[in-house]
Amino acid sequence: MVDLATILAGLGDAFSPINLLFVLGGVVLGQFVGALPGIGPVMAMAIAIPFTFVLDPLPAIAFLIGVNKGGLVGGAIPAVLINTPGTPDAAATALDGYPLSKRGKPLKATKMALYASVTGDTFSDIVLITVAAPLAVVALKTGPVEILALMIFAFSIIAGLVGDSIVKGVIATALGILCATIGLDPEHSTPRLYFGFFELYDGLPLAAVAIGMLVVAEILRRLAAMQGEMRPPLPRKDTQVAADRRVSLAEYWGCRFTMLRGAAIGTVLGALPGIGSTAAGFMSYAAAKQASKDPESFGKGNIHGIAATESANSAVVGANLIPLLTLGIPGSVSAALIISAFMIQGIQPGPLLFEQQGRLIYGLFGAMIMANLVNFWVGQLGLRFWVRVVRAPESIVFSTALLLCIVGVFMSTGGLFGVSIMLIAAAVGYVMHAFGYSVIIFIIAFFLGSRFELSLSQAMVILDGKPARLIEHPVALGLLLLALLSIYWLGVRAPRKQRQRNANG
Amino acid sequence: MNGNRVLVVAAAMLAATHAGAALADWEPAGPITLEVGFAAGGETDTIGRAIAASMEEATGWDVVVQNKPGGGGVAMFTGLATADPDGLTVGMGVSMPVLINLVLRGDKLPFTLDSFDYLATVARAQLAIVAKADAPFDDVKGLVEYAGANDGTVIAFDAKPQELLVKTINQSGADLRLLSTKSSAEAVQSVLGGHVAAAFAAGVHIPFLESGDLKMLASANATRHAYAPDTMTLIEQGWDIYTDPFFYIAAPAGLPDDAKGALASALSDAIASTTVNEIVVNALKTETSNLGADGTRTMLDDSLEVVGVLLANDN
Repeated sequence: MVDLATILAGLGDAFSPINLLFVLGGVVLGQFVGALPGIGPVMAMAIAIPFTFVLDPLPAIAFLIGVNKGGLVGGAIPAVLINTPGTPDAAATALDGYPLSKRGKPLKATKMALYASVTGDTFSDIVLITVAAPLAVVALKTGPVEILALMIFAFSIIAGLVGDSIVKGVIATALGILCATIGLDPEHSTPRLYFGFFELYDGLPLAAVAIGMLVVAEILRRLAAMQGEMRPPLPRKDTQVAADRRVSLAEYWGCRFTMLRGAAIGTVLGALPGIGSTAAGFMSYAAAKQASKDPESFGKGNIHGIAATESANSAVVGANLIPLLTLGIPGSVSAALIISAFMIQGIQPGPLLFEQQGRLIYGLFGAMIMANLVNFWVGQLGLRFWVRVVRAPESIVFSTALLLCIVGVFMSTGGLFGVSIMLIAAAVGYVMHAFGYSVIIFIIAFFLGSRFELSLSQAMVILDGKPARLIEHPVALGLLLLALLSIYWLGVRAPRKQRQRNANG
Repeated sequence: MNGNRVLVVAAAMLAATHAGAALADWEPAGPITLEVGFAAGGETDTIGRAIAASMEEATGWDVVVQNKPGGGGVAMFTGLATADPDGLTVGMGVSMPVLINLVLRGDKLPFTLDSFDYLATVARAQLAIVAKADAPFDDVKGLVEYAGANDGTVIAFDAKPQELLVKTINQSGADLRLLSTKSSAEAVQSVLGGHVAAAFAAGVHIPFLESGDLKMLASANATRHAYAPDTMTLIEQGWDIYTDPFFYIAAPAGLPDDAKGALASALSDAIASTTVNEIVVNALKTETSNLGADGTRTMLDDSLEVVGVLLANDN
């Protein structure tokens, strides 16, 4: 166990001015790139890593974690203000954030996103700092079979987002899964559906598809709706009364269960590899909608929808560090980048890290808590700035956004090929939206499809193709049972109640 | 002095400097692009950027790193094969994925080994087979016997060559089932969690060897690993197979000799520099190893043969 002197020394390091400066720099950079559509925090981290070699380990890692944390706050800002999520994590934030902004409450919407984000983040950081070791054991014991069962359970909850038409929902899901199968198959590395493009060996680039579908398609819709006059993307309402410009304590407190649920979902999914913050955001959103007494108000500007998504996707960051620090296992792309930053410093995350680098780890914990505070204050200032930015004429805002999307995808996919994929995805997204197919459902299926396929094949290998051997995995059985319950609850019981209500009313 | 004469003198001076430069040393006509066949932030990218920075410092040339991910480097080499052989475009990749694609679907690839001039290797990745410290076997033979006694057992891997090694071992009647994972870290996690009996690992396992949680069954390379000199290779344990993934740097074929010489020597200096070595040691747990321009080609030819043998066992 690490002694108190080491902990204090670590925290002392964290609060040195130079480290605070790097945390601040990271958060500012993260929020900025997160808020720009197309250039996400993951890319900023990837570019920054080789440069962190010249820094000491603590400022280097603290800087990257600052970028990561800032990015999750920043990503919500364009999602809420102009319906173009800066990062895929924030896709579910747009569902309620944008309607609320359109109703003339952009500051309330962005502030709720910020508060929920910082709350979820702090929750998972505290979990990391206090119970990382026991949680790591849980993560270790969660094998492929359990992960598969957990994903099925998550799907059964997310399915609640499918919308009015189940047929269209199923088609969007099938299309998403089909796109996820492009590239090398997970078992034997045989290329599928690549049409001679070696760029597709690793599958469709996630960033290009997400940005195309979520951002560029929205820009195209705005373009189609333009009528020649100069107007801002968001209707300007100067009549915003003070109560609409802030989130009151009562409103924040009213979301406490939503945020707690979101933080818990984010922490659990973050501690396990492979599922990620986008899924956590959607799962928390769907759970909040189903738990709500007034599910009809979701999608129309309910602050619970914002709180649910943002608390969950930000909680993933802290929780990702649980398997990362204790076992050296990255739970996401950004976590993998943090591992490479550790590695180029000559530090191998893993079982001996707390013993050998206790001071660094506690310095890191201090830096994370500081990053949350900085995130809060920078966010307070920043969102005022962004709310002003979207007062510019929409022709300027959206053409800038389109340019940033192209540059961002060009950089992250290494050429124009990714940009073509982005434009194709945008066209597909535009058409899907026009015909009432949910792009969100497509994105979820696409993001989780390849991981699901891998988990399925892994589970088959572990079970030796015999379903009866599931008996040896009681946790997985429990999760599958929960999935069945959730399908009954949401798919059979809730619609029946709804019909009864309709019949009575 | 009239204008014409000025021009003539200027032209003569220009020609003289140019000729002098060509005689003494090749100079790039512009910034050199080092294309990395993997995404930004990974180990190949980090090492590539360190090499570029070190080259810039030593030679004064501009070296720009560009990421061209896809297919374990195949996407990048596809583009590199058609680039101008003017010394301004070089590419860095890993040997194994390229060679496997050449053997498996060479007819569909727009390049062969002859499409490139080879400049250097950077390092050899170290691949080990590991198991939990309390496992009832200490080598691969023990693992195979354990599988036989237990109705088969599972081994985790994260790349095609590893799958081929196991299939070759299975040829002799072993019953090892293959669990595909996304990374070496995930493979090691499944061993630690008790979900599989053994796993391939490329460095992630080293701290767990120190902590006593894992033991190493074999080196899957041609030689033993420096950190575990007592663990035998697969070859020493009776299977005549290995995988030696080298990080290497190539240029489009037809590079002029002076450019090739200058680039190879600049790369050689960069790879030998302390910064690059430190980053390689940190990221790959092994020293840099540069086989030189000719050695790189020989290594690739030899490895291609080994891959061919391994793939003959793929079914």
